[in-house]
Amino acid sequence: MRIPGFSVNPTRRGELAIGPLMVIPAAAGLGVFWIWPLIVAIMNSFRGFNPFTHRPTGWAGFANYQQILADPAFQSAFWISLVYMVLMIVVIVPLALVLAILLDKRMPGTVLARAAILAALASSEAVAALMWNQLYQPSSGLFDAIFRALGMPTQPFLTDGNLAIVAIVIMTAWKDVGLPMLIFLGGLQAIPPHLFEAASMDGANRWRKFWRITLPLMRPSIVLSLFMTTIAAARLFTPIQILTSGGPNGQTSNLAYFSYAQAFLFNSPGQAAASVVVMLLMLVVITVIQGLALRGKRGAS
Amino acid sequence: MTKFKSTLSRRSVLAGMAAGVSALAMPAILPSRAFAATPGSNPGKYKLDLGGYTGPELSSAPITLKIMRQEYPPETNEVMNAIYAKFSAAYPNITIQEERVPYGDLPTKVQVYVASGQAPDIMMGRNDFASAYAAGQLTLPLQQFLSADFIADVYAPLRESATIDGNLVCLPWETNPVYMAFNRDIFDKLGIKPPPEVAEYDGGWTVEEYMQCFDDVTKALRASGDQQTFALAASGYGNGGPGSNYTQLESIWVRMMGDPNAEKGSSAYNTFMGVSEDGFTATGYVNTPEAAKGMANYKAVFTNGYTPTGVVPDQFRGGAAAITFSGTGTVKRFLKTGQPFNFGMSPAPKGTIAYTTTVADSPIIWSGTPYPAETAALLAFICNDENRFAFHDAWGSMPVRKTLVDALPEYATDQRLTLGTNVADHAFGPPKSVGWFDYFSAINPAVKDIALGADPQGRLDQVATQIDGLLAKYK
Repeated sequence: MRIPGFSVNPTRRGELAIGPLMVIPAAAGLGVFWIWPLIVAIMNSFRGFNPFTHRPTGWAGFANYQQILADPAFQSAFWISLVYMVLMIVVIVPLALVLAILLDKRMPGTVLARAAILAALASSEAVAALMWNQLYQPSSGLFDAIFRALGMPTQPFLTDGNLAIVAIVIMTAWKDVGLPMLIFLGGLQAIPPHLFEAASMDGANRWRKFWRITLPLMRPSIVLSLFMTTIAAARLFTPIQILTSGGPNGQTSNLAYFSYAQAFLFNSPGQAAASVVVMLLMLVVITVIQGLALRGKRGAS
Repeated sequence: MTKFKSTLSRRSVLAGMAAGVSALAMPAILPSRAFAATPGSNPGKYKLDLGGYTGPELSSAPITLKIMRQEYPPETNEVMNAIYAKFSAAYPNITIQEERVPYGDLPTKVQVYVASGQAPDIMMGRNDFASAYAAGQLTLPLQQFLSADFIADVYAPLRESATIDGNLVCLPWETNPVYMAFNRDIFDKLGIKPPPEVAEYDGGWTVEEYMQCFDDVTKALRASGDQQTFALAASGYGNGGPGSNYTQLESIWVRMMGDPNAEKGSSAYNTFMGVSEDGFTATGYVNTPEAAKGMANYKAVFTNGYTPTGVVPDQFRGGAAAITFSGTGTVKRFLKTGQPFNFGMSPAPKGTIAYTTTVADSPIIWSGTPYPAETAALLAFICNDENRFAFHDAWGSMPVRKTLVDALPEYATDQRLTLGTNVADHAFGPPKSVGWFDYFSAINPAVKDIALGADPQGRLDQVATQIDGLLAKYK
């Protein structure tokens, strides 16, 4: 009900009109580049395709899902995707936190170190993978050269299944640790200094201050980093493609690579779409579990 | 084969609308025409020497023709650009646009373009994919545009591999029959007997003799303190390294252990075949005991340190390997640019048979091109005698047409090239399967795994099952 003599502030009225307009570009972008492709992928996962032209041939029901679920390569890729997630979380998140703590202090070389880490983050993923591919080469790579110089046996970094996964994770950690580090740096700098001062006055040592003040107050940053690292691990593709092509014997192939192979190597776009949908569902489940676990922990505290 | 039925989709509706518009515009763009040439060489019939082209005179309407091919060195690219310029000068209404991609990515690129429904008019294909091109109706049959004489001039193994049910689905335009190049300087330095320099395609060493040679060379090199030079160069085919290009290289290790003259259905026969006659079954063909033995030899060259386990670009040319699988390309380029070292050529290793494959880069004309005659004419022009000589001179590959080879005296006088012609005459085409792209994509990683330590029989059994599953969708 309009109150007599009262009118909406013109500025407010303008904001009410302009606001939605400003949201439209972002919403459109989200729709075009995320929602629509997702809809197409879901639709394609229920279609059959001509293996020569990749044109739809009609409704296929759950045939694509049945085929991938029965495929040993898919089963392997599913579990390997989980392995990548775990390894990347275990490596990247703690490393980023340590780096952030170290680089949050004013020490010689801090600026240079920050720049180096951020430069790696800014580099092309393909370029980074190609560079690390050279480093891992058995006959001409830097790592094996160091091993030989030390009188140690060379290591099959890219040709042993277990080592290859580790090699990919290390390369990815090197490249991608910068973003979570930035998040942690922001979190660290948001902690009021007087809390540390008060703790010092109470006799708390460095470790106790970290455990009782820094870590609890960094929880939002940790949560964000965990989510981002999980998502990055789920969609890991370029290093796998360049370093190992999913080998040896499919032991480094995750769902992202499996989907690519089905679409572009094995003329099976329907199965590729089904794999993408499964990957998305897996990611949703994992992030929900993460969210619930972190929320439960927060509730307990 | 099950007929594929199209269904309505947004893409198909849009494609139909586009086709309708194109059809409406077609009469204006492409006026009716009559064939203006007779079979055979056509000097004077068209504005240019269009080689084997026998189609109608080209349209005078503005047309853009798109080509996708692999990247060549700058000198070869210049030759291609000059060819395009001549064609455009004669037909100024026709614009040529070119896209160049890394060689190893070509098959996938073709696939993506076909799937998009807007493929370039000419795309670089390969004869080992001929069955797929035909089954998918992806390419225009070329015999309707090229003279019988021109087609018959192509080396028989190449021509036969590119022909499916009487249709020439791709046009082999260069070949490098695979045989061995060796660095005489290394052998002389080590005091080891090099492979025999003979012109007969079957006059070379057995696979056992080559393995012994690799071992001798490796031991001698290491004993002399040389830790960087290898007996066998890393593969330069495809994207390089182990499992780089099964059709052209690694299949040699396998199929040489088979026998095309053995009883049909026998293990030796099936080993040679590589896939069932209908092209849908790999089990019992790619994983026979003979195939496993061939792959065991392949594995040994890696595990014994005869060759690097990774990619080493230009290893042989750089003098860092004693032997390499190669072909006329190496000979021609070395002779043209100056021999970096004293080198010789010898037939590929022999197993049960003297085997080498004949795989050719083979342009295709996309079946969806709106300008079939103009596209065929351009392709024929690129392949006329003058342009082929210029191309082969720059790039170093071997012509696919006998008359061109006969016109080059070095192929008759230089043993290193004479051997190439004999190999080309006796080479075998790749296995024929409509799903060869899947087969190829699956077998390469398996071969790489074997090179890097996997059990040959086990891995071949595994990949055979995988391939059978992949080929099922083509039935």
